[in-house]
Amino acid sequence: MTARMEETIIQLPARWTNASVLEDVLRSCPSAHEIPSAIVRFRIPEGCQLMTDAAVRLLSLLNQLDHATRRVVVEFEEDENGVLGYLGRAGFFESLSSTVEVTPKRPVYSAALQYRGRNPRLVEVERIDRNCRDGNLLTRLTDAIARACSRRSDVSELQGAAWTILAELIDNVFSHSQTPLDGFAALQVYRRGNCLKVAVSDSGLGLLETLRPALRKEGSRLGKLPDIDLLVEVFRRGVSRHGASRGCGLKGCADKAIKFRAELDVRLPQVRVLLVPGTGGYTPNTAFCYSGLPLIWGTHICFTLALD
Amino acid sequence: MNAMNEFATLPLRLKTYMAEDDGWGRVAGRETHRRLVDFVEANPGVLVFRISNENVRRIDISFASESIVEVARRYRGKKGFCFIGLTDDDQRENWAAAAQRAGQPIMSWDERGRLTVLGPQASAGNMDAFEFALGRQVAKAAEYAGARKNMSITNASSKFKQLWEQGFLLRRESAAESGGVEYVYMAIK
Repeated sequence: MTARMEETIIQLPARWTNASVLEDVLRSCPSAHEIPSAIVRFRIPEGCQLMTDAAVRLLSLLNQLDHATRRVVVEFEEDENGVLGYLGRAGFFESLSSTVEVTPKRPVYSAALQYRGRNPRLVEVERIDRNCRDGNLLTRLTDAIARACSRRSDVSELQGAAWTILAELIDNVFSHSQTPLDGFAALQVYRRGNCLKVAVSDSGLGLLETLRPALRKEGSRLGKLPDIDLLVEVFRRGVSRHGASRGCGLKGCADKAIKFRAELDVRLPQVRVLLVPGTGGYTPNTAFCYSGLPLIWGTHICFTLALD
Repeated sequence: MNAMNEFATLPLRLKTYMAEDDGWGRVAGRETHRRLVDFVEANPGVLVFRISNENVRRIDISFASESIVEVARRYRGKKGFCFIGLTDDDQRENWAAAAQRAGQPIMSWDERGRLTVLGPQASAGNMDAFEFALGRQVAKAAEYAGARKNMSITNASSKFKQLWEQGFLLRRESAAESGGVEYVYMAIK
């Protein structure tokens, strides 16, 4: 990262970049939302392969900075044969605010528009518009999961579980958002990595921001927990702003996801936990749990599933 | 109201109260809840609503929580809601997760009349009383006490009352032979 008076540069690495790598980069920089510079420049070098969890999170961050009236520039070192082309195909630029500058230039035509829905290993970045709920989005995502995981003996149960998990996650985008910015969902299969990633991202208040006031009102002891511990409890025990009798959604997601040994990555405005399947339920992988992270508004969840 | 009406049951086709084949999310669940309440209030004589999930493709836990589970909780002790022929494992798991969180048991009967309780289960101490009531059209504390060794009527009555309060049974008042009032308990089916 380099910071001049008026410009901050965030340099991504020339390698496969998942959400953990992206977070490492962001942690090594001052928080882009909080710096005084008017221009934030993201440099994406040749060889940088953005994975879907990182791409969706980055997309939300770019739109947020743009919304906060920063001048945002995304510089690609490669042309459309590299990550620029991949992001075009994945529908990234259709959802990127039109005032974010892209160099050398935005793809002239949208490969995503032309080929959308044709690659069984990809569900392009889909906008989650709170004013117009797309019921088919869930079916597209779960069908893609079922196709990708067809070698698994539990594929039919997995398909049902994936629908519930995504339904809860996307419904959370509607309930927690309170923002003019869209949320996003995307899916990508990585054959060589034997995994599939589904990412859901919004730019709203974040789970804990809506939960903490409710816990304070109830006088719950959970309200005193640090962010990371409270977030783990949301997934392990089920905690809700809707009161003790509700709030089984995310815990229900976790109960289903753990049966399929999925990893859950949860990023809130300044805290992140990576939940991995343990013997008694999900346990936080402390190597990837951080608080005090650079600000990204909203809730960003990714689950990673083995293909067979 | 005569006794016949008090025992009245009515089929409830859940799909009729849903906007889509998939029940997805809190907002849709609340809308279904509102429609279900209208239906229940329009049928004041009905004691048990027998829910069919025919043509309901999928439901998530938030929808389950806000719709049927919330209706069952709202009318707990007064009216009962049970599933008939709920065969989809994924749906059953989601209804159960929502019921468990709400502390509201929901009875689910299969085609052969076998019961699965979705959500919280009757306590070990009350299980025998629950099973006694399940095996009969109606059950009275005196009958249960009479059928068990070392069971006082007070104790039997207390078990039935707990099961009623917790949403496992329904009850109504009946004239006792002695001239007083006694409670008659019945399963939700």
